[in-house]
Amino acid sequence: MSDIAAPSPRLRYRRAFRISVLLLAFVLIVPLVPYGLAATGVQLTNPGADLWREVRQRVQPYEATTQVKDIDGAALINTWGETWREFRSDRLVPIGGGILLGTLGLIAAFYLIRGRIRIEGGRSGELVPRFSVNQRVVHWFAAGLFVILGLTGLVLLYGRYVLIPLLGPEGFSATAAACKEVHNLFGPIFPFAIVGLMVLFGRGNRFRWLDVKWFIKAGGLFGHRIADSGYYNGGQKTWFWMTVLFGLLISISGLVLDFPLFGQGRELMAAAHVVHAVIAVVFIAASLGHIYIGTLGMEGASESMTRGYVDGNWAKEHHNLWYAEMEKAGMVGVDENALEEVRRHDDIDFRGFGSPLPKGGDTGH
Amino acid sequence: MFLEFVEGPLWYASAAIFIFGVSLRLIEVLTRGMPPDLSAPRGPGWPGALRTLFSRSWTAEGFTRGATFHLVAGYMFHIGLFVLLLFAAPHVVFLEERVLGFGWTPAPHWLFILAADLAFAGLALLWLRRVMHPVMRKISTFDDHAAAILTFIVMFTGCMALLMSHESLRAIHMLTVCLLLIYFPFSRLMHAFTFFLSRGFTGAAMARKGVQA
Repeated sequence: MSDIAAPSPRLRYRRAFRISVLLLAFVLIVPLVPYGLAATGVQLTNPGADLWREVRQRVQPYEATTQVKDIDGAALINTWGETWREFRSDRLVPIGGGILLGTLGLIAAFYLIRGRIRIEGGRSGELVPRFSVNQRVVHWFAAGLFVILGLTGLVLLYGRYVLIPLLGPEGFSATAAACKEVHNLFGPIFPFAIVGLMVLFGRGNRFRWLDVKWFIKAGGLFGHRIADSGYYNGGQKTWFWMTVLFGLLISISGLVLDFPLFGQGRELMAAAHVVHAVIAVVFIAASLGHIYIGTLGMEGASESMTRGYVDGNWAKEHHNLWYAEMEKAGMVGVDENALEEVRRHDDIDFRGFGSPLPKGGDTGH
Repeated sequence: MFLEFVEGPLWYASAAIFIFGVSLRLIEVLTRGMPPDLSAPRGPGWPGALRTLFSRSWTAEGFTRGATFHLVAGYMFHIGLFVLLLFAAPHVVFLEERVLGFGWTPAPHWLFILAADLAFAGLALLWLRRVMHPVMRKISTFDDHAAAILTFIVMFTGCMALLMSHESLRAIHMLTVCLLLIYFPFSRLMHAFTFFLSRGFTGAAMARKGVQA
């Protein structure tokens, strides 16, 4: 054993140098091999690709189990998430934007062609009570909530396209954070506003054959054709039931999104988002028409919801059958400052003014 | 920098105006003086004062019909605001660090949301009724509307800053809070401190006369 000489320091040094060079070459050159092979057209397969493809394509619902206590804990890849993302970016955003801008364009065109719908006989100066204090409070409460939720929702949907060029990324970040919190906090109040609208505006909103005739005449919006109408016309009834239906659907989907504490999985949340966003876009587009007619589009309309009274000639032209009932009941030409009228405002009968309808329904018009 | 200003000099100035202004108004009320009541008292005043302090928290019989809206919306707003002010987590932290030096357990998130929604809804309904009701509209002054709108703005900016992710949003909320603190002593918001005195005085005066008010 003592005859075997230990390697000299120089030999050890040379061996260590060679090993270092080999290791360095390995670390530097081996990662370049796939690029080289790609450049030469040789296909390298990811050994995991087949596995993950199979995972992604497997039939749902999953039968896997996991110790993770989450409804989606067993999902390795959620393929529906990509479908939802593509729907949102490729369909919802552009089509929704088209609907909203198109509606604005239609309203602008209508205004340019038709102009403001005036009271043809001029104002008579006679007041007819139209909506009570309770009705107007609930209407403006719901309208205020709708505007806040609509604007913040539009920022969440379109903000990155519209606001980043204006505010920059930091400005948009703060705006979006603010809008998200406002939207989530005010959202749960909206269902109560919808219920309030249902209670206070429900009576008189049943569709009748009269309303079909109203639609055929386009509500008298074009030309001088008079379309018979009771307390609510066909257009108002349509808007009321749209509000109820859309309002309830958007409230339910919104609550599912706002409170993900009850076992909602990703698919349910994505579905709720689709329902919420699609309805919201249509709801906002329809509301633009309602807002237009109630403000700029029709002379005398806004007073019904601000003062609670309308001009007699306005009532005669747009709700002739209701006007006839009010005239018969002696409620045309009231003094809004008279004690009797003021006392009526304190009446907490939720039906409000309305038409002097017999109990159990309207007069059948 | 704006946040430092708002949470620094402006906060101290507005808090000083608030404390000084409220104290001055209360001293003014307490030292106003009354002409002496020469009639023989039927009884002590303090039981009546105490009784009226609580009995006026509900509408008197015969007035329920007209006052239900205000009662419900009023309690919604005030209870919601009380929970928000004193038990919202960011407020508890602020009071502990900047005002009192001690804190308490904040409300859970679900209670905060409920309180905030009640406060917003109550305030909006009350203000809308003030604007829509013909009598209330006629007797309302600038102060009535300003107090309601300013309170709503403070709550709204607080809601915007809930995520606590951006200094700018926190600064806007603090700015509106400072404005409210400055406005407070000069407005009807003083009812937060004077309602004790008002109810107590009425109850004591009536008790002295032998009337159960």
